[in-house]
Amino acid sequence: MKNLARRVLFTLGAFVSLAVLSFLGIDALPGDGCTALLGRFGTDAKIAECREENQLTDPVVVRLGNWANDVVHGDLGYSIKRDEQVAQIILPRIRNTAMLAVVAALMAFPSAIVAGLLIGRYPQSRIGKAINTLGVVAMTLPEFVIATILWLVFSIWIPIFPGVTVVPSNATVLELLPHIWMPALTLAAVVFAHSMRTMKAGVTTIQTMPFVESARLRGTKERVTLLRHILPAALPPVVNTIAVDAAWLLTGTFVTEAVFNYRGLGRLAIDAISDRDTAVILPIILFGLGVYLTMSLIADMVVRLLDPRLKQQRS
Amino acid sequence: MNKRIVYCVLGFHAVVALLAPLLPLAPTDKQDPGAMLQGFSAAHWLGTDALGRDVLSRALHGGRPSLVIALLATALSAIIGVALGSLAALAGGWIDEALARLIDFLLAAPTLILLLLIASFFGHDPFILSVTLGLMYAAPIARVARGSTQVLLARDFVRVARLQGGRGINLLFGEVLPNVWRVVLTEIAMQFTWIILAFSSLSFLGLGASPPTPEWGLMIAEARSYMTINPLSVITPIVMLASLVLAVQALVDRE
Repeated sequence: MKNLARRVLFTLGAFVSLAVLSFLGIDALPGDGCTALLGRFGTDAKIAECREENQLTDPVVVRLGNWANDVVHGDLGYSIKRDEQVAQIILPRIRNTAMLAVVAALMAFPSAIVAGLLIGRYPQSRIGKAINTLGVVAMTLPEFVIATILWLVFSIWIPIFPGVTVVPSNATVLELLPHIWMPALTLAAVVFAHSMRTMKAGVTTIQTMPFVESARLRGTKERVTLLRHILPAALPPVVNTIAVDAAWLLTGTFVTEAVFNYRGLGRLAIDAISDRDTAVILPIILFGLGVYLTMSLIADMVVRLLDPRLKQQRS
Repeated sequence: MNKRIVYCVLGFHAVVALLAPLLPLAPTDKQDPGAMLQGFSAAHWLGTDALGRDVLSRALHGGRPSLVIALLATALSAIIGVALGSLAALAGGWIDEALARLIDFLLAAPTLILLLLIASFFGHDPFILSVTLGLMYAAPIARVARGSTQVLLARDFVRVARLQGGRGINLLFGEVLPNVWRVVLTEIAMQFTWIILAFSSLSFLGLGASPPTPEWGLMIAEARSYMTINPLSVITPIVMLASLVLAVQALVDRE
């Protein structure tokens, strides 16, 4: 229990300090909301006036304090460039990215666990070897290459899916659904091999262990051995892999969203960065940090629940 | 994958990257409005892109920007990572604890968005990009170096060296590094491919190499709109990038 509390404290501390660092780092970049809004046509006087209006002339420590106070009270700030509350801009994008992540996760993780279990158990199978190789290739190649290949195959040669998303960011879920398959497939292809290989490695070591031998010698059916003895023992490390990948699905999808013009958080981040809209970039970074740290915390806790040995240590 | 094929592919890339300017190829930026988006031909073996530029020539030059940056960045991250990791393990105590937390902290930093920010605000300067990438990718190397140094420090021959008065730098270079090197090298090679991928992704997004530089990521981005007319100009850079990255991975992956 004490361990867990320390872990939570470290996570919180890391989040707060990374958030402050991000604020200071972004503040140090050349340009602010006013130069972004007025662009190259802004005269010095106009920029100064705009800064005065938006309280950008205060010293950095004061602005950091105000910003932290606002964020704690649920106010993510205001984008001068887009003339909109940041929360209004970001929330629909988070929903879109989350939907994409859920579809990709459903495509990748269950099949990866099953594939890893079977490939680990039957390493000589040709289909297994082929899936393994394909998965590793997909894991190694960059997303834009996988996306381009999938696009070439499934939108041009065999036109099943629409290639480019043309729906607005606040489209309803049903409007969005037809456009989700290609980016989701790309993301699923990237993460599939991670958990599959972790599972496979686990199964390979576990199936020679004494408790599996003894189950076999007792005459337990192969299916039961696989599902009741090998699977639970091999699962904990996979949970870690899945947590890291899930965090990536929620926060690392810049390239995939850009390829398919899918209006999620990653696409917004790229737009905001090229507009120099720092007010939007900062909350996106915070969201990413939060997701990453929360996921690794959750993974730790789930592993504790799944692994009885760690549970005993805790009490 | 067969080891011999892997070495052949890597050798091919090394030779091409070094000698591309000397090979009898069409100039990479010579536009030919009369021959746009062509397929195979005697004049252009792998066809031309949307501006009528020779795809073969551009594809053979296209690895040079990423390789230069990846080599610089990997060297930097290897030096920082190994120094940080092995010194942390050697020092032990609170220094080790503090450095370990620092490494955890760096690992949590959102790499890609930071990279996008820096590339966007500081332009396409390859030196700045290499330094940024090198700093970012040092943390995973540091973690591996720390872990393997810790294992090594418990071994008898290192304890003997310590008892004989081996300290600090001597111990590091005499006993630790020669033995840690192999494990760490694997991690460094992995980072090398990640850095190539990161840079070509940046180029693909328009924040890495700038036109008209021939660069694989940028070539794929440029040719993507014309994929229905001439898939060859997309497939060629994909094959080049994929073969390099997969070969390095296959070399590293001792499964």
